Amino acid sequence: MPDEPLEPVLTGTLIVDAIEGRFARVERENGATEDWPLASLPCGVREGDLVRVTVDGGDLEMEIDHEATRARRAQAQQDLDTLNAASPDGALDL
Amino acid sequence: MRRLFTLAALSLGLASAQGTGVLTIRFLDVGQGDAVLITSPEGKSVLYDGGRSEVRMQALLKQYKVASLDLVVASHGDADHITGLVPAVQALRPRFFLNNGLALTTQVWQKLTGAVRAAGTQGLLAKSQVINLGSVKLTVIPPPPGLPKDEQNVNSIGLLIQYGSFRALLTGDSETPETNAWLKTYPASFLGPVNVYKSIHHGAKNGDNARWLAAVRPENVVIGVGPNNYGHPTAEALSLYKKAGAGIYRTDLNGTVTVTVQRTGQFIITTEKGTGTAGSRKPVATPAPAPQPAPYYRSCAAARAAGVTPLRLGQPGYGRHLDRDGDGVACE
Repeated sequence: MPDEPLEPVLTGTLIVDAIEGRFARVERENGATEDWPLASLPCGVREGDLVRVTVDGGDLEMEIDHEATRARRAQAQQDLDTLNAASPDGALDL
Repeated sequence: MRRLFTLAALSLGLASAQGTGVLTIRFLDVGQGDAVLITSPEGKSVLYDGGRSEVRMQALLKQYKVASLDLVVASHGDADHITGLVPAVQALRPRFFLNNGLALTTQVWQKLTGAVRAAGTQGLLAKSQVINLGSVKLTVIPPPPGLPKDEQNVNSIGLLIQYGSFRALLTGDSETPETNAWLKTYPASFLGPVNVYKSIHHGAKNGDNARWLAAVRPENVVIGVGPNNYGHPTAEALSLYKKAGAGIYRTDLNGTVTVTVQRTGQFIITTEKGTGTAGSRKPVATPAPAPQPAPYYRSCAAARAAGVTPLRLGQPGYGRHLDRDGDGVACE
């Protein structure tokens, strides 16, 4: 009987909030933000990207989830457009 | 001639400086990030960015007894600018949420827009528009068209604040492509000179540049900055501000930096701690001629003629003989 594949010991998601020079400010699943060396993230990562993190055994793997990024951005944009739908024009008196 | 003072806030007694007739702009000490609280003489308030911490913003709103907000502004969507807006919106339910129209994928963005929805706050898409904050005029400087929509910094919203002859300019984390586009869009006389200017992007390398500052001509620069890994503020940015002859204030060294502006445009800058660096630039905007401060107005008729009534205890011109009921408010 073949061996069952090992389950990853840790998985998670990062969202890239901003890129600041050699650092990327990433948002963890618990909402906290941390500065990670940009070089430690997948090549070509951009602001807003959702990055899947897997620690399997001793190996750390990261991959940009382009599809999830697109879906998340599209939903957020739709929500914002709805909020702005009745945005008034002209001078505004508060 | 206007005099500029830098004093410890406590020694000045800010409570008296916040009386009727003054605009207050606080560059809040939120650590590494930006948050600017603007309060008009009529008590109308705007929070332009909220820093990176919900807890910190909650404490600041309490410290400065902010009872209402009319408008919150996300200059752009980075976490160090919008996180503190979440509790502000939840607690104070502002009428409007000014934004650049570009959504983000982060949880904090989702939380902010959720709070805006729950508060019944109307989204306000940045466009060339004047917002009257009582007697204070705010001119929205929207992101120019044609810049990458997936880069928040270059889509920062600018805000020009005018009260009497006083002018202040806030431009988020803009980068050179955005400031270059604004230079093509607006005449130099619109962009500068300004009395107070918020440093772009916490003094980052990719923020302020010589060409932009030559148009803005800042008399004083306030840098919203705290401990960080990015090298903010950079030596390059500080050198640019010095070359511009601007006084320099930093929230990491000076704590919250408060600008208090009189109706005439005269202003003072106070700090929680330390002093800023004096600038060499002469005052950039000529205020309307104002009489030399007298110990008090001789009569309420004179105070009314000067447009300063009612006068509160501690304000220039207040005198006991004008305050018949002794309640600290004269010429009611």
